[in-house]
Amino acid sequence: MANCFAFCCTSKYTNMKTNKFFTFLVFLVIIITGASCKNDEINPNDKNSITLSFDNKVGDKSLVLGTGAYTNSSGEDFTVTTLNYFISNVSFKKEDGTVVKFPNNYFLVKQSDAGSLEAELKDVPAGNYKEVSFMVGVDSTRSTSDISQRVGVLDPASYGDDGMYWAWNSGYIFFKFEGTSSVVPTNATGKRPFQLHVGGFGGMTTKTANNLRTVTLPLANAATVRGNIAPEVHLFVDISKVFNGTTQIKLAQTNLVHGITAAIPIADNYKSMFSVDHVHNDAQ
Amino acid sequence: MKNLFLTTSILLLFLMVFSCSKQPDVVIEPEKLFYQPSNFQSPVYKIEKNPITKEGFELGKSLFYDGILSRDGSMSCGECHRQDFGFTHHLHDLSHGIDDQIGLRNSSSLQNLAWEKTFGWDGGVFDLDLFAISPIENPVEMDDKVPNVLEKLRKTEKYPVMFKNAFGSTEITSERFLKALSQFLLSLVSANSRYDKFMRKEEGVIFNATELAGMELFKQKCSSCHAGELFSDGSFRNNGLPPTERQQVVYRMVDGVKKAFIEPVIDDGRMRVTEMPEDKNKFKVPSLRNVEATKPYMHDGRFQTLDEVMNHYMTTVTATQNLDPLLNQNGKLGIPLTATEKTQIIAFLRTLTDREFLTDKRFTP
Repeated sequence: MANCFAFCCTSKYTNMKTNKFFTFLVFLVIIITGASCKNDEINPNDKNSITLSFDNKVGDKSLVLGTGAYTNSSGEDFTVTTLNYFISNVSFKKEDGTVVKFPNNYFLVKQSDAGSLEAELKDVPAGNYKEVSFMVGVDSTRSTSDISQRVGVLDPASYGDDGMYWAWNSGYIFFKFEGTSSVVPTNATGKRPFQLHVGGFGGMTTKTANNLRTVTLPLANAATVRGNIAPEVHLFVDISKVFNGTTQIKLAQTNLVHGITAAIPIADNYKSMFSVDHVHNDAQ
Repeated sequence: MKNLFLTTSILLLFLMVFSCSKQPDVVIEPEKLFYQPSNFQSPVYKIEKNPITKEGFELGKSLFYDGILSRDGSMSCGECHRQDFGFTHHLHDLSHGIDDQIGLRNSSSLQNLAWEKTFGWDGGVFDLDLFAISPIENPVEMDDKVPNVLEKLRKTEKYPVMFKNAFGSTEITSERFLKALSQFLLSLVSANSRYDKFMRKEEGVIFNATELAGMELFKQKCSSCHAGELFSDGSFRNNGLPPTERQQVVYRMVDGVKKAFIEPVIDDGRMRVTEMPEDKNKFKVPSLRNVEATKPYMHDGRFQTLDEVMNHYMTTVTATQNLDPLLNQNGKLGIPLTATEKTQIIAFLRTLTDREFLTDKRFTP
């Protein structure tokens, strides 16, 4: 944009005192360049990144691990100690309907790790993107792949105490939501914890439930990737939806989920917890 | 005469000493570490993705027998998988883990793993390379975390060197760690039992009449589940074990203090993995290779002898949920056998013992 103006202005002043033809030409130049500036000149060779920023919330409150006190739609109080989830298979759809896919980028979003809340997709071709889509979880191909392909956040042996992998039943935990609530009965250690773990990619040797969910969100304000613009898509992630998406879930009854079948309603619910709050298209 | 005796004795002594001193060190040849026995089908494991080398095998073996893989250094893989007992936990019905805690099941034997489609009694793990994470991180087995184990290995003197020898650099990653363990495990090929030699028509190997009769009976009565040269079809079945009411001691931290709790043991078998009611009470059909050595038997190690196992199939098969239809023929539960037939089948099962494998020095710590 700035370059366009400089060119137009320079041409205008140097040609000011010449004949009518040149004046006409100047106006033509202004109109043409002005129009193309409006069209924003998408250079098909330009690439830049789009960052998905995950802003985890409970309703309209920001999520604070440990100390934050919240109430779900059933009136049950709860605190949150852990919120982790995998994001994969991100894709962006352009105005003209073409889709740019990122099948090899896997992200583990952890509320406890600020650096993990931003997922950067690199080398997105310049264009105006009107829709974002992503999977919550790790697709079946990667859930069953050779150990050599399980690197970074997919390394099943990398999680330590904050496990995101069921070792005895080979599979990633797609979504892990833990905390405490006074409505949960005390366990053997006198605590009142809830643990909602969702996994299940469809099964390897036997077909099991598939809890992979794909979320598709329109971008009201397009993400306009340019050589000098790397958009940031700011997502609100309202975890209270875990309790009241399509199914009402009460912690008093559902507080320990470590399975696949039992997790189906949770996965269905959290599919609706993502929304696009705004898109930043700031020039770099 | 006396002279002859003396000379012979001296000669014998000399020979003995000579043969002892000539006893070679254990030779490890990579190409012989893993091989395809002629009477086996093709392996399931893609060996080309993790080619076995001498160095990789030695690293894997060292890890297998090293307690460093457990939280307090007390438990190695080899603790519950003893070579002389077909790599199971001898004399323990349920395997004992760290702090002498008791596991849910009897440890499986480790042999011919390249031919297995799934691992563990419930088949929850589908890739050998991913298996070790489970016992290492199980609180009642080795109770550590793999990232922590790798960190401990990095701090040792020997392991970075061993990783370099095996994989080209001192870097210790989970992939390298797991693949090294797999290299050792894959090399545990057992295919030199008397049965194998008999089937391969190797010279001088014959079965007596009892064993031959046992083999024939086995084919008729047992081989629909214990199928093929691996003596398992890899399926999950309920073999009608009578229910037991087991209880277990579970330790939990309560406000920083370890306390013991007694809880009932619930083991739904395969259903634990698939969550489908039709898989309740089903466990993987185990291979019967080296079965004589892998006592005790069943997923919970309830039977101490092959005789007890046979008695179960003859008399105590119980119609619990999902009992295998093969054990319920026209309302008659179990496998009808006479006492003689039982003896014959057991005689045949003993021919599956592979002494060379059970005593192979290459696998010994």
